[in-house]
Amino acid sequence: MSELFKPGDLVGLEPSGQTCRIEEFLGGGGQGEVYSARYGERAWALKWYYPQSATQGQRKALEKLIDIKIKSYNFPSPEFLWPEFMASRLGFPGYGYLMPLRERRFHGIVDILNQQVDPSFRSLVNAGIKLADSFLLLHSKGLCYCDISFGNVFFDPETGDIMICDNDNVGVDGENNSGVLGTPRFMAPEVVTGKSKPNIQTDLYSLAVLLFYMFFLHHPLEGRFEADIQCMDLAAMQKLYGKDAKFIFDPDDESNRPVPGLHDNALTFWPLYPQFLRDIFIRAFTSGIKDAKDGRVRESEWRAALSKLRDLIYYCPQCGAENFVHEGPNPLDTVPESVCWGCGCELTVPFRLCVGRQTVVLNQDTKIFTHHVDPRKRNDFSTPVAELAQHPVRPDVWGLKNLSTAKWTTLGPNGKQLEVPPGRSVSIAYNTRIHFGTSEGVIV
Amino acid sequence: MGVEGKIQALNNAIREAVPHMQSVARDNPNANVLVRAVRFSDGASWHVAHPTPVHDFKWPDLTAGGLTDLGQALSLVAEEMQVPPMTDRALPPVLCLVSDGLPTDDFSAGLNTLLKLDWGRKAVRIAIAIGEDAMLDDAVSVFTRFIAAPGIKPLHANNPEALVGYIRWVSTAVLKSASSPASQLDQDGGAIMTPEGAAVPAPPPFVGNNTDVTVTDVW
Repeated sequence: MSELFKPGDLVGLEPSGQTCRIEEFLGGGGQGEVYSARYGERAWALKWYYPQSATQGQRKALEKLIDIKIKSYNFPSPEFLWPEFMASRLGFPGYGYLMPLRERRFHGIVDILNQQVDPSFRSLVNAGIKLADSFLLLHSKGLCYCDISFGNVFFDPETGDIMICDNDNVGVDGENNSGVLGTPRFMAPEVVTGKSKPNIQTDLYSLAVLLFYMFFLHHPLEGRFEADIQCMDLAAMQKLYGKDAKFIFDPDDESNRPVPGLHDNALTFWPLYPQFLRDIFIRAFTSGIKDAKDGRVRESEWRAALSKLRDLIYYCPQCGAENFVHEGPNPLDTVPESVCWGCGCELTVPFRLCVGRQTVVLNQDTKIFTHHVDPRKRNDFSTPVAELAQHPVRPDVWGLKNLSTAKWTTLGPNGKQLEVPPGRSVSIAYNTRIHFGTSEGVIV
Repeated sequence: MGVEGKIQALNNAIREAVPHMQSVARDNPNANVLVRAVRFSDGASWHVAHPTPVHDFKWPDLTAGGLTDLGQALSLVAEEMQVPPMTDRALPPVLCLVSDGLPTDDFSAGLNTLLKLDWGRKAVRIAIAIGEDAMLDDAVSVFTRFIAAPGIKPLHANNPEALVGYIRWVSTAVLKSASSPASQLDQDGGAIMTPEGAAVPAPPPFVGNNTDVTVTDVW
């Protein structure tokens, strides 16, 4: 691949006429090349289009994206590596744009499958929530991404922070002129079969595939049908991912189940997760395939399900592996003992706080947020309202410490009613009821 | 509503809200939740005229229109808030305004027509703000007057779960749980009721039994 620029080259920025200095060639793709560059105090990335990709239409689309950022109050969020300046150079064909540079802590999601990184479930769930959050934000502006896939999304395996790259294909929903159809395996069946162009609904499908890959390390449609294909040519792919798309865990049709020996990740990971999570994936790939318009799982639903999943993580006391509480239909019911998926030892489920439909396992490091106790402020994780605290004299006694500004009232298991002012803790005991001011919870 | 991307944003906001409404309705089987919709641009008309059970509700996409005749929309809704067609006894209706908040007609007249009616006043009124214009003072003032309840702010389209937090079927659920069994409480004078076999593993916390600190203590 020819490198258009060399380190030290200056490239002009519009409209100011200031310049950025090329530092390093980072990579090239079908559309152009990407360099790290220095402009002002910050490190940036410069994408430069090859002449055949540097169309008038693409330029207009980029200018529009830059304009959206300038005019928006809260968009895009820092997760998007969004185009910020057009770039051009006298005597040089084509144009480029400047966007924030991805930090080195971010890895491709495909690295999970390649076993290059081994994130915790908590990090994966965090990444899933942030993906859902970010694409919800994009869609709530009436924009669609058109190509959600491995290559465009990066995450930090330690924290679950994410970055969304290649935003130059983003456009107003239904007005997609970029010609981008998406990435094989991630494209919605109706795009694969040529019935639709990418739009918000097809983004939802691609997001579901990406999430399935993250949680099950496998593709949701690759089961028996894939095993029976001798040559994975275009026709075979169109059938598997388009015309005959069939979820491997479709509860009403077992014809495309994973094949032991070939699809072991799917078989191993599927039973680890609570039923509600399996159910939402079932819906994403059954009604989500049958009814592209109204059957797909929405981002806010993913966000709610994954937040719930995060609250159900607990740790094996033997090996430290993360396990999930498998609640029954009534969260107040006792959860049967289970076996650690990491080491096989018997597990007893720890105390949980149930607030309405929310259940939070009380691990030592658990924090309770406004999200959990105020139904009007779902997804507010900005400040904790409670955390676990050890009794100063009796280290075997743990309590829930009031970090909020409101006074709680509690009803203990012996029927004694007490007040818990801010800064104080109430001992954790089965059947203690706590009124947080906005809702009531009970420890089970 | 003709501005670029805004109508798509509106369609998306409603599609995001529907599953959460369905979910909270499932938790409140005593409430029979019916949904219908008015569209307003140049004038106002019923977009989903038939009151549809929330579980069957599917949103027909709107296409970009011209003006924002919110006042006419509120008058149209007001016709349905009268008794009849409303009955004397019902759960409060929920009116959700999805808009950029900048009406082009006599919004005050429409709002007054609505708020003159008992059910118009008793309705839970929520607003979802679309687009950057919805942040402008004029727009915020329209939302605030429509909502007319201190403490309730217009919601942003990227937080549809919050919408159902305002809907009063939820308070029905809270009532239910608050009045539900004290039977789980300890009957024999203070022993800790721990379910059979629930020896709580480390690292999660546990409660000691030989107690100079009572488990119900606040410290």
